[in-house]
Amino acid sequence: MRWRYAVLAGLTSALIALAAAAEQAGISVRDAWVRESPPGMAMTAGYMILQNKTSRPQVLVAASSSAFETVTIHRTVARQGMTGMEHSPQIELLPNASLVFAPGGYHLMLLNPKRTLRAGDRVEIYLEFRGGLVLPVTYEVRK
Amino acid sequence: MTLFPAPKPLADFAFTDHENRVFDLSRLKGKWSFLFFGYTHCPDICPTTLATLARVREKIAKSAAGAKDVQFVFISVDPNRDTAGRLRQYVTFFDATFLGVTGDDAQLGNLAGQLGAAYQVEVQPTTENYPVFHSAAVFLVDPQARYHAVLAPPFDAEGISRRFEALRAFEGPKET
Repeated sequence: MRWRYAVLAGLTSALIALAAAAEQAGISVRDAWVRESPPGMAMTAGYMILQNKTSRPQVLVAASSSAFETVTIHRTVARQGMTGMEHSPQIELLPNASLVFAPGGYHLMLLNPKRTLRAGDRVEIYLEFRGGLVLPVTYEVRK
Repeated sequence: MTLFPAPKPLADFAFTDHENRVFDLSRLKGKWSFLFFGYTHCPDICPTTLATLARVREKIAKSAAGAKDVQFVFISVDPNRDTAGRLRQYVTFFDATFLGVTGDDAQLGNLAGQLGAAYQVEVQPTTENYPVFHSAAVFLVDPQARYHAVLAPPFDAEGISRRFEALRAFEGPKET
């Protein structure tokens, strides 16, 4: 009987691994775009809709791209009648929920583009989630 | 758009525009002015607002009365980094007619105070990317250089241009 348990245990862990992979793939990104910045400006922002289709919370911990010197997760916040930016070290996506990165709220702050980006161009940014998942996302440059 | 029943006459101030010309109270006379405080190192709110204001201008320009008596002024609260040349590159990207102006802290505080626009710049010599906080509102000054209305975000180009055109028609042509 013992080998049966071993097989069963092996099967179970394989199934768990498969399920985990499927769940990780359950994060989708749509409407990803980067604002075209005025000539000579070193800063712009990226926006998107993140959807967590898994039954667990997913935590976005970092973003990176070879097209920019740095990519950081920021949020525009209101403070004493003023608006400004705040670094968000991590953002939790609730299970089966969407999170919108949009003007006036969460955005990827993109600093020092390596080349001039014009409307219609495409740029790849990697989104890193806790647990090691790295999602490559293509952003369209829009005016 | 919040209209003031008794528009408040503005007192003089002294800025420099993106062509290095003096931008003072006299530059607000004879035109409706949309004023927005910000800074060019601002990746989110400033470009979003300026892009919306560019659409507002486009709509006003298509109206019967046109946009000849309307100007859009971006006031940088970050004169440390925003030179005239940089302001020109920045504002004209959104619309060729937009003006970029800035001044020293006393002058910025002067006009911001008159409009009730708060801002806070934490200049740090060690980094290019110091935090700046600023009012997100758009201020409307009438052709008599009076603070006439304030617009709060989120901005919608259609709504702003429609309300502005109604206000301008209601106020009618006035001597300045």
